[in-house]
This record gives sequence, structure tokens and C-alpha cells, in this order.
Amino acid sequence: MRNALILTGNQADAEDLAQEVLLKAFRAIDQYRDGSNMMAWLMAILRNCRIDRLRAAGVRPRDVSLEQLELDPAAPPAAESSWQSPQEALAAFSDQQVIQALGALPEDIRWTLLLVDVQDWPQQDAAQLLGVPVGTIKSRLHRGRAMLREALLPLARQMRLAGGASPS
Amino acid sequence: MQQPDASNFDQQLEQATSQRLRRLAAMPVDTHGLEKRLRLQIPAPASRHHGWLGRLQAVAAALVVAGAVVAAIALWSGGPVQASAAHMAQVHRDIIENRVPVMKVDSIAQASRMLAANNPAALPQAPDTHVMACCMKDIKNKKVACVLLRSEDSPITLSVASAADMKLPRGKPVMHNGIAYHVEQIDNLHMVSAQRDGRWVCLIGQVSSQRLMAIASRLEF
Repeated sequence: MRNALILTGNQADAEDLAQEVLLKAFRAIDQYRDGSNMMAWLMAILRNCRIDRLRAAGVRPRDVSLEQLELDPAAPPAAESSWQSPQEALAAFSDQQVIQALGALPEDIRWTLLLVDVQDWPQQDAAQLLGVPVGTIKSRLHRGRAMLREALLPLARQMRLAGGASPS
Repeated sequence: MQQPDASNFDQQLEQATSQRLRRLAAMPVDTHGLEKRLRLQIPAPASRHHGWLGRLQAVAAALVVAGAVVAAIALWSGGPVQASAAHMAQVHRDIIENRVPVMKVDSIAQASRMLAANNPAALPQAPDTHVMACCMKDIKNKKVACVLLRSEDSPITLSVASAADMKLPRGKPVMHNGIAYHVEQIDNLHMVSAQRDGRWVCLIGQVSSQRLMAIASRLEF
């Protein structure tokens, strides 16, 4: 449910998604190999359900290619240096604010941050689930964290947790 | 020089962002709606018996299904638990009064080696304290590593678990050296708890909460 909430950003959609995942898991329990990683199995089901839902809704997930990650510049240094005390500033945001900011990120970057940063998966396991090389996971992590900070920066300025011009 | 400072700042930003995301793993979620929906969707198997035996079988089957649903949700949500001050006070007293088996150690490194097989959360170094003993505790099915320290001749229990497993208490935290601590008192014991570096950390002892926070802020992860 927590993972579904992080992916969808709202309770209603998260319940729909989590229900679908758990029902699929319940019906396919015979396919689960005893002793293997149940969380990884459930995550794989979650990923497939999520992709199906996005397709059905006619939404093409905003993916980002490795080339784009390399060419697309990170937030300008001036913006990054606006964070005065990063640890304290980022800790001050509520879970809902962070989830909302995650919603602005491309789907695959959101998945990478969910698996590695939130769920503390090894990068190798995240790479396997997402079907990409470990190098791509590393790039997405770095880029994703920067994009998240960029998304939170206007709010941080309003809360006086970061310097620079506050939005009117 | 500019570059080392810039690189250090970048690292701080990366770590702070990663840590903030890690906290989402312990975010409380409301699963009541989901549980209700699942119970409606997962039918109890039909009974071959009629009358009271059939009804009893249907109830038993429904309970098994409900149990499986709840277990699946618990696993899926990975529900963190809260270690109450009363519980941690009991853990502390049991350790210092030798009511539970502990392993005598004289360093964090030795404690880490002793607990490695069962401990999911690495132990931090605790400067300015003497390390005395260690053990693993099971708190509401979550593994917690406990280390008995001595600071200024007073025993203190340092408990460490994965941040995803443990909830912090409600209430406004106290800031100390940029870290948010939850401070509680039970009888003559003070307790401080916080999340640091992906871990739940708790210190409890007869010393003041200020002293506990000072020790906690010097823990090296």
C-alpha cells in the first residue's frame, strides 16, 4: 500500500493498485517459489500492474533514456547551492509533500528512487527488476535526487529553508 | 579551495535526499479500506456440509482467508512498530540486572561481529563511552540490537534497528545539533530516540536526556 501510494500520489488510486496487486498475488500464489524473495515477487507484480494501468489510461509513462540523462543538465549549481542546511531542510518536508514532488518525476526515475532509496534495494536488484544496466540505475539515482530537490525548491523557499527568490 | 567544498556539499545533498526518501519506508498508511475491499473479493471456499457443520466450516475458511489477507497486507506494508518507553525501560533493566543472557564485549566492532548474523542494522561507533555487553531483542517481531554502554559510571542501553521497522513516537521532537529527538521519561529513566542514517536509534538510562542527546549526536555511522 505504501509503495502504491508513493507511485500514484493519492489514497484512492493507491488502494485500487494495491488491491489489484494483492489479488493477483493471491491467485498466483502457486507460482511463488518457496524460499525466494516474496517482496521482490510482489514488486514485480506491482510493476506489471502499474504499467498495465498506465497503458489502459492512455498515459505513456514519462521515461527518460540514458542519453537524455547524460545530456540533460542537472539543476544549475546556483539552485543546488540554495539549500542552506540540506539535512535539516529536506527533513522538514512532510511525507505528502515529498510524494507530491515525486509525482513530477518521470516514471522510471520514480521507480528507481522507490526501490533503491525508499526500499533500500541493492542497485543490482533494482536493475534486474527494471530491466536496465546498473549504470543506468546509478545515473537515474543521481538525476532523480536532483530532480526531486528541484521540485521541492519553491516550497523550500516559501518555508525559508532555502535561499533565492520566493515565488509570488 | 572551491572544488573539495563543492564536492562535499554535493555529497551532503545526495545523502540528505536519500535519507529523506528512506523515511518514506516508515510512513504510516491507512490500510482499512484496502482490507475491506480484499475481504469482499476473496471468497471463502464452498462447504460440502450443510447445517451447523457447514456454517462452522465456512467461518473457519473465512478466518483463514482473512488471516492470509491481513498477513499479505502486513508484509506488503512492512508495518513499522513503536517501541514504547515502558518496553525499552524493561529491556534496559533486564540487561543491567542480568535477567537476560548478554554477550560480554568491549567494543562496537566486537558487538557487531557477535550480532552480525541476526542484526539487519549496522551498529554505530559510540565515542566517549565504554562498551560492556550486547544482545539481540525481538520487539513486536522486529529485530533490535542492544548494546550496554557505560558513560560517567552510568549504564546506558543503546538500541539500534532498521528505520523501516520502527516508528518514532508522536509529539514534537527536540532539536539537538540539527537532529530531531523524541524525548520520554519513565520512572527514573530518560529515553531519547531518533532516526539517523536509515536506522532507528534509542538511548535509555538514568542520565539526563541532554546527556543522552549529546551521546546520540556523537554516534558515528
